[in-house]
Order: sequence, then structure tokens, then C-alpha cells
Amino acid sequence: MRRVVLAGTCLVLSSQLAGCVTHTQPEEFFQLTAESPRNKAMQTRFFQTKDEAELLSASAAVLQDLGFQVEESVQDVGFLRATKERSAREYGQDITRFLVAIVSTPLVLARSSPVILPVDLHQKIAATLIARPLNSEATRYEVRIMFYRTIWKGDGTAGQSAIPPGAQSMEMLRDPVLYQTFFAKLSKAVFLEAFTL
Amino acid sequence: MKRRAIWGMIVMAGNLLVQGCVAPQPPQDLLAPTEAQMKIRSVQTRTFDYQDRARAMRAVIAALQDLGFIIERANEPLGLVTGARFAEPNYNDVVSVTVTIRQDTAERLTIRANAIYNNKPIEDPKPYQNFFATLERSLFVTRE
Repeated sequence: MRRVVLAGTCLVLSSQLAGCVTHTQPEEFFQLTAESPRNKAMQTRFFQTKDEAELLSASAAVLQDLGFQVEESVQDVGFLRATKERSAREYGQDITRFLVAIVSTPLVLARSSPVILPVDLHQKIAATLIARPLNSEATRYEVRIMFYRTIWKGDGTAGQSAIPPGAQSMEMLRDPVLYQTFFAKLSKAVFLEAFTL
Repeated sequence: MKRRAIWGMIVMAGNLLVQGCVAPQPPQDLLAPTEAQMKIRSVQTRTFDYQDRARAMRAVIAALQDLGFIIERANEPLGLVTGARFAEPNYNDVVSVTVTIRQDTAERLTIRANAIYNNKPIEDPKPYQNFFATLERSLFVTRE
């Protein structure tokens, strides 16, 4: 029984340690990394147009089509920020939670509650978009968009201590399909609107 | 024995009360600029020979985006850009930066960047040097 308790504490402690290991040093910030050009290529497309306002409003329309709400816009610098909130439930996480709970049930013998992993409940997906002219005549524009999300977790327990709901985690979304979908829709919108003139 | 303990407690409580009564004197140099402040300001500031403030602002935004920052706010009339990014691979830490662009004279403008790691200002000069190196490249490219 003592072993079980020991194993349990080791597990909990190691999971807490894992959060501490990978701290990047501040010197590394503001430095281009090996991934920067790849990310840039994925997040950027060029458009032949003279009308920046049209390009921005087409971008806003595409974001709306994708279910985003535009939160902020600054036309002078060609800036848009949009968000959407969705459920973040995944079956995989629920299954893992269940299995871990079953496996850790013997902890009850040690007068401790089984380990219940918190699952992702809710997420806020956000996009920021910048359109900027590439030449001085402003006939060629670069549109760069970045997607990221914040996730809120549900409650759980680890040994004696309860994990309260609401813990957050954030991540950049680097799935190329997401960006391809957006730009496919945007180029279609720009193309169509060019012809409506 | 018991009486002593009671006396001791009374003296302790009295001490606490007296300490609460001494008005703390504000130090003379409370809002005075310190040496460290001047140094950090000079690290955060660069002057460029550049005429077009609007274009410089777009270059700043592009530089921040290249560095993986999410642009949160931009204000053209004031020349303000605020961005943030996660300190990847650690997704719980956030680095945020505010950049101000001010036109000094017709040919010169000053760019100042303030960076914060979680809730602590970054005072190390290296990150700022890195930032301005990227920004210079961005300014140069947009000038073409």
C-alpha cells in the first residue's frame, strides 16, 4: 500500500516538474528561428489589387464566413482581429480520463481519491490579420494571418488535491490546412469582388 | 508563570500597536529617475533616418509578425503597436511588447520598444538588440 502511495506521489510530482523544465531564456526572444520563414510562408499570400479597403473588408467577410466575430479593426494599418468561441471537447481526452481514473482507483485504499485528469471544455480561437502594400504604388498587397487559441480546462483531482476548473492553456495554430482554407476563400472573394466593379 | 505569559502577550500586542502608529516617511527620491531607468530607456530606444512614419509603422508590425508575435492593438494616429506571443515551447508564459513610433523631425523618427515577460519587464539589452536587428531588416525591405 505504501508503494502505491509512493508511486502516486512520484507521478504527481513528476507531472508538476514537467512544467518547469522547458523555460526559454529571455535572450532567445526577438530572434528569428529556423521555423520563422516556414511560418511566414504558410501565413502569407499576395494579392494584386489597388483597393486596400476592399481587401480588408473581403478578409473580414471571409472571417465571418468561417464563424469569426470581428473584434477590432484599424484601417490605417490594415489590421483586423477576430475571435470565435467553441466547445473544445474531444472524445480521446474523455477516454484517457476514464482509463486513468480506473487505473488509479487503488489509490482509494490509500485514503486518497483516484486521479481524474481535467479535460478541455471550451476554447476561444482568434485570428489577427494584417494587409500591407508591398510597393510604393500600392498595387500589390501582402496579407498575413495568424491563428491561435486559448483553452479552458474542466475540473479534476490528483491525489488529495482537487484541480479547480478554469485552468487555461494557449497555443498557436500551425495547421497548414487552416491557412489554406482561409486563403482559398479570400482569393475567391477578392476575385469575385474585382469582377463586380 | 501564567502572569508572566500574560504580561508578555500584552507587551507584544502593545509593540504591534506602536509600530502601526509610526507614519512611514516617503523617501526623497521616490519618483526620481534612477540610473537603471535611464539605461533601460536607452536600450529600448533607437533613432532612424526615415521620413515616412506610416510606413515605419507597417514595418514594425511586419517585424513583430516575423518574430511570431500576435498583433493585439494598433493605433495609427498615436503610432502605437502592441503584440504578444507565447514563450514557446512553454505555452504558459507570455511575452508582450509595446512599440511606439514618434516622428522627431521630418527626417528622423524614434522607435521605442517595451517588452514584458509574464509580468516582469525584460531589462536585458540582448532581446532589444535582436528586435531592432529584425526591425532594421524590415524597414529596409519596405523601403525598396
